[in-house]
Amino acid sequence: MEIYSPLFGELLAPKYLNWLIQGFAVTLVVSALSCLVATGLGFVLCLGRIARSRLIAWPVRSYLSLFRNTPLLVQLFFWYFGASALLPDTLRDWLNTPHGWDLMLFGLRWPPFEYIAGFVGLTLYTSAFIAEEFRAGVRGVPVGQVDAAAALGMNRLQIWCHIVMPQAVRIALPPLLGQYMNAIKNSSMTMAIGLAELSYASRQVETETFKTFQAFGIATLLYIAVIIVIELLGHRFQVRQLALRPGR
Amino acid sequence: MKKLHLVSLLALAIASGVAQADRLDDIKKAGVLRVAAFDSNPPFGFIDPQTKQIAGLDVDYAKELAAKLNVKLELVPTNPANRIPLLTANKVDLVLANFTITEERSKQVNFSIPYFASSQQFLAKKGTLSSADQLGKLRIGVDKGTTNEIVLREKYPSATLVAYDDTPFAFTALRNGNVQAITQDGPKLVGLLANVPDKDKYEIPAFSVSDDLIGAGVPKGETRLTAFVNDSLRELEASGKAQSIYDTWFGPKSKTPLKRLFKISSK
Repeated sequence: MEIYSPLFGELLAPKYLNWLIQGFAVTLVVSALSCLVATGLGFVLCLGRIARSRLIAWPVRSYLSLFRNTPLLVQLFFWYFGASALLPDTLRDWLNTPHGWDLMLFGLRWPPFEYIAGFVGLTLYTSAFIAEEFRAGVRGVPVGQVDAAAALGMNRLQIWCHIVMPQAVRIALPPLLGQYMNAIKNSSMTMAIGLAELSYASRQVETETFKTFQAFGIATLLYIAVIIVIELLGHRFQVRQLALRPGR
Repeated sequence: MKKLHLVSLLALAIASGVAQADRLDDIKKAGVLRVAAFDSNPPFGFIDPQTKQIAGLDVDYAKELAAKLNVKLELVPTNPANRIPLLTANKVDLVLANFTITEERSKQVNFSIPYFASSQQFLAKKGTLSSADQLGKLRIGVDKGTTNEIVLREKYPSATLVAYDDTPFAFTALRNGNVQAITQDGPKLVGLLANVPDKDKYEIPAFSVSDDLIGAGVPKGETRLTAFVNDSLRELEASGKAQSIYDTWFGPKSKTPLKRLFKISSK
């Protein structure tokens, strides 16, 4: 009777595929939002890190080492279980109860606390890495160029905007994409605080169907698919950059 | 592992050869009732630190059965995995070790009528949850990969389930207000609650959504022994002895008070 290979068994029922797709959507949304905010925050942190004033540079340094040198899982537990215990009761209750706002055409819903804690944890963690990638980009611009610009009479803002920044961003872009990929993979850790993303969904499907290989196999394929998309984007961007670069 | 397998096969072969022999008569003749019980699963079966003997709810039932037969009780410590092999290998006469009655197990051993139910219950802040109808509107913390999660999703699809790695995590989420209730087997919830510093803020509402029925394991085909255990259990309920055994371990004065929802019936 068994016509399927024992490895795959029967295919997953649509209900379970649907769970996986929903989880995948959550993974994408949480990772995308985190990456977006972390990029902005990382940029600001980078500026702080290379600031001449120690009053700014040192707190940023501590932030970076704190978030880069502790496991993400512990940070997520901190935001979900630890930090929420410190919040005042009224704020905590507000965060935990569903809220909705009806805007003209569409409604906004306040997400459950897992989403907030997961988003905050992932964003702060990723921003620390992104800040360092930006800094590497800035450091990658030869000092001679800055000196030359100064010699031409450009002020610091002009040097920053016209000389350093454009090149730094170009240098930082490939590792930045790498950090985005990491963020997507790291988002799987939020399953530990009950965020129903792809890994959480795959585990749930496994629990109910016992189709271990399929549940985790499909999740793996979905992760690979999104990583490949980012890689392709990065590749295309680099090709275009090379083509645009004059004199090559 | 392999050795055990061989032994049990051999035992099976011998047992089938002498199928007409009756275990109940053997027990009476030997004057000893051999019962497998847990030695590290309080309050069902555990080593009492004072007496250094195995004690617990399961053990109390075993004692009553031995007393009724007027024979000595010999307790054999077991772990969950050895419960069926001990029976099939004729090492024990009965298993009373929080033994959940399942269809799969019934193919290998006989089960008595249930004498305990490990019910799926809820833990919530006092006054927030009183009946099962409310469950559909709540956010409920569950342990990942447990049957509790599956049962709840089937029966209350509108409830929002949040799965955590283990019960202490789920409880922290309840404490922080991230979920309004958590679910687990009742005995596990009282065990958890017993160690909580602010336990008066929480309660285990007196309802359950599903029952894991616990019965005594009897060697396959021993109908007279099974009937004896069933009759004895019914008598224990009728005489109030079953209630007093329950109260010893889960009564209001015990360390882990849990309302008794299940009573032995003639099912």
